[in-house]
Amino acid sequence: MPGLCKGDPRSKAPAVGSAAWVNELGRARRPGPALPAPLLPATLGSSTLSVHAGSHDDPATGAVGTPIYQNSTFVLGADQYRAIDQGYARDRFIYTRYGNPSQWAVQEKIAALEGAESALVFASGMAAIAASVLAMLDRGAHVIASRELYGGTYAFFHHELPSLGFEVSYVDPRDPNAVRAALRPNTMLLFFEAMTNPLLNLVDIAAMAAIARAAGAKLIVDATFVSPLGVRALEHGADLVVHSGSKYLNGHSDLICGAVAGSRKYVDRVWPRLLAYGGCLDPHACFLLERGLKTLALRMRAHQDGAIALANHLAAHAQVNWLRHSARADHPDHALAARQLRQHSGLVAFAVRGGDAAALALLPRLRLMREATSLGGVETLVSLPFNTSHAAFTAEQRAQIGIPPGCVRLSVGIEDPADLIADLDQALAHC
Amino acid sequence: MKNGIATAALSELTAEIAAQPAQGCVAYGVALNWRSGTRAEVEALPMRIGNEQVSRGLRWEIDEPRQLGGSNHAPNPQEYLLSGLGGCLMVGFLVGASVRGIQIEQFSIEVHAELDLAGFLGARAGAPVALGGIRYVMHVQAEAGDAVLEELRELAEAHSPNARTLAHGVPIHGALARTPR
Repeated sequence: MPGLCKGDPRSKAPAVGSAAWVNELGRARRPGPALPAPLLPATLGSSTLSVHAGSHDDPATGAVGTPIYQNSTFVLGADQYRAIDQGYARDRFIYTRYGNPSQWAVQEKIAALEGAESALVFASGMAAIAASVLAMLDRGAHVIASRELYGGTYAFFHHELPSLGFEVSYVDPRDPNAVRAALRPNTMLLFFEAMTNPLLNLVDIAAMAAIARAAGAKLIVDATFVSPLGVRALEHGADLVVHSGSKYLNGHSDLICGAVAGSRKYVDRVWPRLLAYGGCLDPHACFLLERGLKTLALRMRAHQDGAIALANHLAAHAQVNWLRHSARADHPDHALAARQLRQHSGLVAFAVRGGDAAALALLPRLRLMREATSLGGVETLVSLPFNTSHAAFTAEQRAQIGIPPGCVRLSVGIEDPADLIADLDQALAHC
Repeated sequence: MKNGIATAALSELTAEIAAQPAQGCVAYGVALNWRSGTRAEVEALPMRIGNEQVSRGLRWEIDEPRQLGGSNHAPNPQEYLLSGLGGCLMVGFLVGASVRGIQIEQFSIEVHAELDLAGFLGARAGAPVALGGIRYVMHVQAEAGDAVLEELRELAEAHSPNARTLAHGVPIHGALARTPR
């Protein structure tokens, strides 16, 4: 169609050819990129944003919702050639690794939920983390990271970053003084998880952001365990927020994907890494993620309510000798949770009497809950840190970081809490 | 991207700095560690660009030719000075050409300068210590007229921080700090 902008029509070309110098080029950053549609008011609630943000009816057919653009490439024209020539190719459709309407739709929804100017989706959470971290680093840079990282992230930081010439210091995520003490002149990045695994500790994002800002470093927060409904990390000062979208964002345990969101300035820096390392998300997977996100607000309320019910029940159970959930007053970060979390997640950690052997014996007795790694799905998943996420640690090392013997991690799904409680009770009765 | 220069990103940065002047403030530094004789190792210190601290991780050597008491293992301070000017002019020229939409096929600069060693050595009263002047020639292959290319050269020189610094001079403030044993 002549005159059709195959991309974001709000993105204008710089005035190359008519400008005398850089100051006359006339292009400024703007949020996006996004498909042409009226922008939704920022005041809309999370449920409304979950449903409507980034969902664009097909103008050709009137089909409700964004179609699946299952194509690898796009018909090129003068506008796209100009975008390549002048360096704004992210705003035009050229090739699906660069951008695709199905990607843009779900990116717009994630950006709206995070209160971000821009977002990118990836083929996995680790693809999102790797691209985002590397985009924030320059030659010889130093990184400060939580010592309670997810295993995949730790492997990337511990094995890959040093091979690339970067140094990493690991600190207690709940100790701002330790973070300050770890700063060096070449520190470019602080990386923390909003909620840690499996202890479900919280990090004070605003405090970390203040430390990062004073040092001229960036702060990336992995908010996988809490979702944007739990915390909008950017509003607390994070520069970028990353997610394993396979967890709460998609929510159905049927998709591997990741995401990053932040200012257009910083997400534009991640985009070339997405291109170079190639972890783009297939359009059909984008559709699945966007469909999953439409119920995010509903699901997160059910996860939270179920987790609170289970946590309160388990706390009084004779077979349980340790328990964590951020809504409970006995959580060590309860005050921070009250200040920082908009709502709680569905994650509960508890320990059974009898240690790891008793915990191991518990899992096969569960009838509804699935003995599986991962989290954030509609079905309740249960796993043991000692033989999954922290299998590389000795029992003493696990004890040193606070993981008690018999520790069980529950990702409470959206089932009826009474049924889950009954399932746990019958399994614990055999302990 | 034409000439490898992202004009869109340049324009976005310009707009950002116009709106937030602090984002345009850049702080540089290098640290020289004497090795022996006229040789030193130089390290680029972390750079500050607006609110961002940027690790550089770059090192290079500096030396003098044997005729001037060195080992000729690395460029000398005057050659680094000239290359710093040439590199700065090159960036300005390529940016200017990209803003005009001009494809540059080949580009090189020769930068020349002379000095009288009598100034440094004190061999003759009143001999100048400074360089006598700096000349450069840009060699350009591009589909553009001579007048346009000359205008780009003049713009590059006018917008070059290093050229402006050398042409007009800036105060140098030195201090001594005793290194503890």
